[in-house]
Amino acid sequence: MSNTEFFSLPAVRVRQGSQYIYAFGVDGKQIPRFAAVSRVHRKDQQLAGYQRPEVQSHIRAIRRYLETDGAILPNAIVIAFDDRVRFEPVDQPQNGVDYSTIGRLLIPVDDSLPDDEKPAWIVDGQQRSAAIRDAEIEAFPVAAVGFIAKDEAEQRSQFILVNNTKPLPKGLIHELLPSTSVKLPTTYARRRLPASVLNLLNFGAGGGRGPFTGCISTPTMASGYIRDNSVLKMIENSLYEGALYQYRHADDGTGDIPSILLHLNHFWGAVQRVFPEAWSLPPTKSRLTHGAGIQALGYVMDSLTEGVPAADLSDLAIEETLRNLRDECAWMDGSWHFADDQVRRWNNIQNTPNDVRLLTSHLLNLVRHASPVR
Amino acid sequence: MKFYFPDSQDLISPTYDFLHDEYAPHRVRQRDDRYAHEVLETPPYHGILVSKAIVDGGVSGAGKYSSSQRARFYRMGVRRFFRLPDHIATLGDNGAFNYVGEEVPPVTVDGTLDFYDECGFDAGVSVDHVIFGYDANATLTQADPAWIRRREITLDLAYEFMKRVSERGSHVEPVGAAQGWSPTSYADSVKRLQEMGYTRIALGGMVPLKTRDVLQCLYEINEIRSPATELHLLGLTRVDAMETFAQLGVTSIDSTSPFRQAFMDERKNYHTADRAFAAIRVPQVDGNVTLRRAILAGDVSQRDAIEAERETLRALRSFDGSPRSQKTALDALAQYERVNRSKKSYLDAYEETLTAAPWLSCPCRLCRTHGIEMVIFRGTERNKRRGFHNLTVLANKISKLATPEALEQYV
Ligand SMILES: [Zn+2]
Repeated sequence: MSNTEFFSLPAVRVRQGSQYIYAFGVDGKQIPRFAAVSRVHRKDQQLAGYQRPEVQSHIRAIRRYLETDGAILPNAIVIAFDDRVRFEPVDQPQNGVDYSTIGRLLIPVDDSLPDDEKPAWIVDGQQRSAAIRDAEIEAFPVAAVGFIAKDEAEQRSQFILVNNTKPLPKGLIHELLPSTSVKLPTTYARRRLPASVLNLLNFGAGGGRGPFTGCISTPTMASGYIRDNSVLKMIENSLYEGALYQYRHADDGTGDIPSILLHLNHFWGAVQRVFPEAWSLPPTKSRLTHGAGIQALGYVMDSLTEGVPAADLSDLAIEETLRNLRDECAWMDGSWHFADDQVRRWNNIQNTPNDVRLLTSHLLNLVRHASPVR
Repeated sequence: MKFYFPDSQDLISPTYDFLHDEYAPHRVRQRDDRYAHEVLETPPYHGILVSKAIVDGGVSGAGKYSSSQRARFYRMGVRRFFRLPDHIATLGDNGAFNYVGEEVPPVTVDGTLDFYDECGFDAGVSVDHVIFGYDANATLTQADPAWIRRREITLDLAYEFMKRVSERGSHVEPVGAAQGWSPTSYADSVKRLQEMGYTRIALGGMVPLKTRDVLQCLYEINEIRSPATELHLLGLTRVDAMETFAQLGVTSIDSTSPFRQAFMDERKNYHTADRAFAAIRVPQVDGNVTLRRAILAGDVSQRDAIEAERETLRALRSFDGSPRSQKTALDALAQYERVNRSKKSYLDAYEETLTAAPWLSCPCRLCRTHGIEMVIFRGTERNKRRGFHNLTVLANKISKLATPEALEQYV
């Protein structure tokens, strides 16, 4: 133990039942000196360690965020200590808060120790701590929470518990996305524009009302009856593969939102006027407001309006085209005649890729024959 | 000679971040990405070849296109989908390799013509059935019965194709597909296609043939070829024989091989006018399956691998042509090969590549922009850019070929 020095870190000891946890701050660059990251691997048939290998893409994303100005990491890194780590109180418990004690955490640091003999393990925050280690920054103090574990089994169960928290519901995330500003993970960054468009359709832009206003059901718009996911999919599809792509800026992924709204409101306004009843009913009573109907008509929109700027849409007589296929549509009752041997009851259309494709090609076929000559 | 590039959805992302090896989070495939004709000053091909099987999917599975891309391809047509300038030609075919195992082609003449018409191709190849085999001595009647049957099917379908093109008043230029197993059978196919009215004929199934055999066939065809008939060689680029090909009536070819060599060939990855160099392998610790497994099993330390990977990239990027920087780079590469437990060492080839530093003198826009990244064998963005560069090299070779007229005086 010749090389051992001690980190003495100000900490708060919090009693939870019969155990203690320790909240403290520590420079993330120093963490690897005393804490190891174990990974799942087999050692003589025995499962050893309890973590996944680092996910480089994830680490890179965090790392690049850390290198920006004003980066913060409010989540605490969770560390399991063994009994070489000690806590020294410097203060007697205050009246009324006998569960918290201020003191010092004493962590032995010996750079010559191999990983598996270090006194601490990172239970949660492996990727964040790797990102701090790799980032081109001098230091990055983080909040940490530690506990002293009896053995590896206890560390492992903590790991599962900590990592098993339920993620936020998708719908809520989509509602939060438009008002975020930091660099987001890829999947969310891609969703930001479609989610912003959906919110504006639903809550009305600048006080104006459109066919979707108040109709889309989201965590904060409980009265809506069209599923947010159906509309989101339709918008995404069109933005990336269809008519709305013309308003998207490829260099930074943003878009000309007013034109996008104009375009969508023009087409879906026509849909609403041609099928007023089917548009006003929930998916159980109308396949138009169902995932299959929204998506299939989204493709019809792409097909009719691709490359046409929003200002010129009125030249296309979309409402007239849709009116011509009204007799063939079975949104609320009757049957769809996809082919002579393929007749489907109205409520027998499901939100599956197959049914969406079937409905889409049927509608596109009808549209091709129903479009007024331009 | 015109060179066609067969489409296989090969694009590069202009916003890719080489330093961090990341795509822009908002990138949309194909639409934000760019084809070779969009990123190089001069398109490295005269035309593109698009197979129906790649767009639609076929018997052996899904195509290269997602269903929404496919829908957009039909909606926009080939020219707008590929964002082609006017002078790049378009040629459609069935992708006969896709159903090579079937008894009869599972596609119809009308279905194929629908594809060409709806998507607005300049020209389209009649439906064919590939013959896998070559025997110069077999005769028209004394040959493998399967070969005989496939050739007859191909000719019947070509007849029907020509008929339907004129009945439908299609604007697509019909290209007759010729199959065969010998000089005689190929020549006979060409003769019969000419009788059907074809003036442009694509020779299929020649990819596995030796250049000598291809030439034999072309000589034999030349005996019966009417002067107006133009030949296309499907899937072939034999630069050495190109001038002779041209003399024998070949006016166009297509091939992916210079492109694919960039990342499929063992060593001939980066082409120059007179030779090919090995690209320098710096696999991504994250992306490499073997390495990932070794790390998971605890055989390789992830830290060491990542450190070696970074060190190698750093050394390559600071390579300035000096012997010192070359040594640093080779040392780092040797270390990475060790950590990686590579079964094979490429260090000798890397030394050649670094000594010649061919990217420094390449005038193509990609080499000028990306420098040494062009010779790093790593991930699809670098590898495809190198493929695009190879296409440029080929295009230059082809454009330097003497024209058939100029050659005639030597014949
Ligand atoms: Zn180049």
